[in-house]
Amino acid sequence: MKASKRIFLFLFVSVLSILIVSPTLFAQVKEVKIGVILPLSGPLAPIGKSLKEGAELAADIVNNKYPELDISIAKWEGIPNLGGAKIKLIFADSRGDPGWGSEQAKRLIEDEKVVGLLGAYQSAVTKTASVEAERAGIPFINPDSTSPALSKRGFKWFWRVTPHETWFTKDLFDLLDGLTKGKAPGVKAVPKSKLEPLAVAAENTEWGAASLAEIEKFAKERGWKIAEGFKYPHTAADLTSETRKMIASKAPTFLFAPYVADAILFVKTMKEMKAKPRLIWGQDAGFVEADFYKTLGADVNGILTRDLFSAEMGKVKPVAGKLNEMYKKMTGYDFSGSSARDFVGVQVWAHVLNNAKSTSPEAIRKALNELHIPGKELVMPWKGVKFGSPFPNDTQQNELGSGVINQYQGYPDGKLHIIYPFEFATSKLIYPFPGWK
Amino acid sequence: MELATQLIAYGILMGLVFALIALGLSLIFGVMNIVNFAHGEFMMVGMYVAFIISSYFHLDPLISLPFAAAIGYLLGVVSYHFLIHHILRGPMVAQLFGTFGLMLFLRYLAMFIFTPDVRSIKQGILVGKTLSIGWLTIDVSKGVSGGLCLLSFALVYWIIHRTKLGRALRATSIDAEAARYMGIDTKKMNALAWGIGGATVALAGALLAHYYYITPTIGMLFTIIAFATVALGGFGSIVGAFLAGLMIGLIMVLSGQYVSELKFTFIYILYFLVVVFRPRGLFGW
Repeated sequence: MKASKRIFLFLFVSVLSILIVSPTLFAQVKEVKIGVILPLSGPLAPIGKSLKEGAELAADIVNNKYPELDISIAKWEGIPNLGGAKIKLIFADSRGDPGWGSEQAKRLIEDEKVVGLLGAYQSAVTKTASVEAERAGIPFINPDSTSPALSKRGFKWFWRVTPHETWFTKDLFDLLDGLTKGKAPGVKAVPKSKLEPLAVAAENTEWGAASLAEIEKFAKERGWKIAEGFKYPHTAADLTSETRKMIASKAPTFLFAPYVADAILFVKTMKEMKAKPRLIWGQDAGFVEADFYKTLGADVNGILTRDLFSAEMGKVKPVAGKLNEMYKKMTGYDFSGSSARDFVGVQVWAHVLNNAKSTSPEAIRKALNELHIPGKELVMPWKGVKFGSPFPNDTQQNELGSGVINQYQGYPDGKLHIIYPFEFATSKLIYPFPGWK
Repeated sequence: MELATQLIAYGILMGLVFALIALGLSLIFGVMNIVNFAHGEFMMVGMYVAFIISSYFHLDPLISLPFAAAIGYLLGVVSYHFLIHHILRGPMVAQLFGTFGLMLFLRYLAMFIFTPDVRSIKQGILVGKTLSIGWLTIDVSKGVSGGLCLLSFALVYWIIHRTKLGRALRATSIDAEAARYMGIDTKKMNALAWGIGGATVALAGALLAHYYYITPTIGMLFTIIAFATVALGGFGSIVGAFLAGLMIGLIMVLSGQYVSELKFTFIYILYFLVVVFRPRGLFGW
C-alpha cells in the first residue's frame, strides 16, 4: 500500500471512529442536563414514579411542539435562547434516604455535570441534597418539599417554587373558622364545640414534624384546642394503637400528616375500629396519591385533603384541564398536587434557562432572582412564580403560590372537589364525615 | 381496663403474624446457620399470590392460602438447590451476600412485574368485616389470621417434635456431621428447612394481604422485625420465635400508645440487650 493511501485510510478510520464514539460532538442541537432527585424505590416509590412522570411530561412539552397548548413552553421546541437546546432530565433515586440523596446530588453535579438540580420531594432529602448544590455553587430548584425551614436557611443556590407548610396550615384553620361561620359551601354554620378538640397524627421525619409544629402554632393563635398530637414512624408495620389513641381522645376532628403507606393503614384501621370523626383532613402527600384512593376505593369519600391541585381545576382553568388530560393519557391517572408541582419545576427550569441565555450558574442565579412567570402559564391555581420573602425569614421562596383543600366525593369513580378557597369551590362540602360502610 | 384489653388483643394479633413470619427465619438459621435476607421477599411473594387470586381470578383470597404455602415451599426448595447449596461452600460473606442478592432479585422482579404501585385486596369473605365483643372491635381477617398462625405453628411444632422427619431435622441442626454418619440425608433436611421456612412465611404474607397493603418493597419492613424476633427468641427455637413474636407485637402496640415516635426504638433496645447479655436468645440452644 502506498504511503499516501495508508495516510488516507488512517485519517478515514480516525474520523469514522470519532463520529461513532461521540455523535453528540457533531449534533446540532445541544442538550441541557438537569439532575432530578426523587424517591424511586422504597416505600415512597409510588409517589416518586408519579413525580417523575410529571417532570417528564413538562420536558416533553418543552422539547417538542404542542401548538394546541396555550402556554409558552409548548411553542418553543427546546430552549429558544440557547439555540433550541433540549432539556434532558437525569433521574437519580434518593431511596427516600437523606444520606443517599445527598450522595446522588454530588454524583449528578460531579459526574453527570448537570447544569442544576430539581427535587427531592421529601423535605429531609431536599435538606441534605441542597447542601451539596450550595457547596458546589449549582442552582437547586425545589418544586415539591414543604418544610418551612428549607427556605429559611439563607442559602444562595436554593429556590423553592411550592408554597410551604405555613400556607397550608393557615388554609386549614381558615377552613375550620369558615365552617363555624357558615362560609363552607352547602353547610350551615357549625358550632365550634362540634369540631373541637383536634387530634393530630404526623409522621416523624422533617415534613411531618414541621406539619405538627405548624398546626400546634396556628391552633394556639386561633384558639383551637388539641386533645392529642403525636408523631409516629411512617414505616410502622402497624398503627392500631395510634388509631386507637385518636379515637379514645373523643376528638371530632382528625388531622393527619402521613405518607401514602401509613395513610392507607390509618384509614383501614379507623374503618376497622369503627371510628366516627366528624371531619378528617390530611396534609397532602399520602392523602392525595393515586395509590391512596385506588387502594381504598369508596373508603376515601368525605375525606378532606390539603392539596395544590384538583382534576376539576380544568373547570376554572382550561390550561390545567388540558395538561391534566395529557398526563392522564400518559399515566392512566390524574395529576396530583405533587406531580403537577414537579411539572411546574421543570417549567421553571425552562423559563430560567431561556431568560439566562446561558448555562453558567451565575447567569441562572440572576435569572432565577428576576424570574416572573404569570399564573396563566401554570397548571397550578397560583398567581405565578416569583421568588421573594413571603413569611418572616423566608428567602428565595415563591411568593405567588397558594393551596386548596379538596374533598373526595363519589369514589371509586368520583372526583376530588375543591372546597377551599370557598369562592373556587366546585362542589358542596359533605359534612359531617359520612363514616365507613 | 378497656384500654388494656384492647391493647393486649391488638398486640397479640399482630404478634402472632410476626411470630409466623419469624418462624421460617429461625428454622433455616437453626438448621444451617445461614441468615436468609430474602425472607421478607418470600412473604411479599405470598402477598402477591393472594392478590393475583383475588384480583385476576376473582376468587376469595382465602383460597390463596394453600397456593401461597405451596409456592413458598417451592420457592424455598428451589432457592436452596440453585443458590444456597452452592454458596454454602463459600466463606460466610458469600452466604450473606448470596441471600442478599436473592432478596434484591425477588424484590425487583416483583417491581418489574407488578410496578411499584401499592395494592390491596378489596373483596373476600373476611375482608373489611369487623367483630365487636364488648369494648373490643376486631377486624375479622386479623382474628382469623391470628388463629391460622397459631394453627400453622402447632403443625410445624408437631412435625419437628413428634415425627421421624422432624427428629432428623433436629439432628441435622444440632450436629450435621453426626447426622450424616447416622444416615440422615442432610442435604434433603436443609432443603426441607428452606421449604418449611418459605411455606410459613408465604402463608403469613397471604394472611397479611387480607388487611395490609401490598407493594414490592414491603419485605424489608417485616424482615427487620423478624430478625429482632428471632434474635430475641433464640436462633432455631420454634417456641422462642412464637413467644418473641407475641412480645414484639405487644411492645409495638404499647409503645405506639404512649411514645409512638419511638416504637421501633424499644424493640431494638431489647434486641441489643439480648444480644449483649444473652446472645443465644431467650430460648435458643
